[in-house]
Amino acid sequence: MSVAESMDKLIDDEMLVSQFQAGRQNAFDELMKRYKSKIFSYLLRSVRNYEDAEDITIEVFFKAYRALENWQPKAKFSTWLYKIAANLAIDYHRAKARNPVYALEDLEIPEANLVATDQYSNPVKEVEEQELGRIIREAVDQLSPKQKSVFILNRYEGLQLKEVAETLGMAEGTVKIHLHRAMKRLQTLLQPLWERNEI
Amino acid sequence: MPRCNKSEGHAIDYASKLLSTAEAAAFEQHLKNCSDCKKAVESFTTLLNLTDRAAKEVVLPEAALQDIEMNVYKRLAATQEESLLSRIRAYFLNIASLFRWHQIAAASTALIALITAVVFVGEFWQPKVELQLSESQSADARIEQYLQQDIQRNLDDAMITRHLRNDAWETDSRLQRVKEQAEGTNWVKFANALTDTNIIQAAAKGY
Repeated sequence: MSVAESMDKLIDDEMLVSQFQAGRQNAFDELMKRYKSKIFSYLLRSVRNYEDAEDITIEVFFKAYRALENWQPKAKFSTWLYKIAANLAIDYHRAKARNPVYALEDLEIPEANLVATDQYSNPVKEVEEQELGRIIREAVDQLSPKQKSVFILNRYEGLQLKEVAETLGMAEGTVKIHLHRAMKRLQTLLQPLWERNEI
Repeated sequence: MPRCNKSEGHAIDYASKLLSTAEAAAFEQHLKNCSDCKKAVESFTTLLNLTDRAAKEVVLPEAALQDIEMNVYKRLAATQEESLLSRIRAYFLNIASLFRWHQIAAASTALIALITAVVFVGEFWQPKVELQLSESQSADARIEQYLQQDIQRNLDDAMITRHLRNDAWETDSRLQRVKEQAEGTNWVKFANALTDTNIIQAAAKGY
């Protein structure tokens, strides 16, 4: 690893953007390295399809590359990147809704790839975890698109409510309302299951 | 007993750790005397524990992740090429339209075409593409760089699987991937000569 590469790891995102704007190509590579897993996993949760998530991830960085030249640090770089991803995910869902035949032919990612496996856990526990993962994902899929986006960004991606608001272009209060509704809906769907010890 | 007048939102915010320290402390006081809110907090805490358990880091396919950068540059290179071609096409279409609408000025148009051709090869003609990369940092160069990194990474993996794990199947699969990646590049001769017994020597030469 070169000295420049080592230094890149210590520099914050916004500084890397400035370097990229000044013509230093490696700065963009470092930004991709930092965010590709996060963006990919966010999109995988949102579109639930491995190949589409990969294609959209590439599209996110492609758009970011072309827009970075004029980017102004009004928000965090990561929030801006999630915003591009969220918009592309919305476009994807719209396109799928318009083309239901495509949706039927679509192959979803295998369950095993969506649930982390612990090499030290026993197979029975692993199957139980996978089953729990499936039930939770199905419940999350029943949320409205906005509730789902807010829930995923806040709970799974770890974004603060303010960042979620910037990402989705909503007021912070609206984000909170969607989060509350999402939680109540999930509670309605899942509480009977945990009360019956089914999960 | 009347139901508590605090909204469920308080319980959700408390369970989600969205309250400030002062708000949380006040709500904790309230919880001591309110069984409704206590029950709601327990319920939402259970819910969050479940969703968090199911939300452990997703396992992302490593091969796809490794290729993201290269595919981004491929996409950029394709757009750059497309943009350049569309500008050239638009340019000649403009000239063609001059002929269509001003046939009597054919001689003038030919002159314009001649001047344009001179400008085209001259240094004054700079196709204004949206993506401006310097020669040494062109998208093609980045693709080549990532391709070489991929080939070297797979070769390293093949060495590890062959010499440390003695996994013939995995070694073979890695070597196959090196050969696929090397197709159409300067590395093809090097990749095709690879076998599971000469990896170390080949890698030493190739690096």
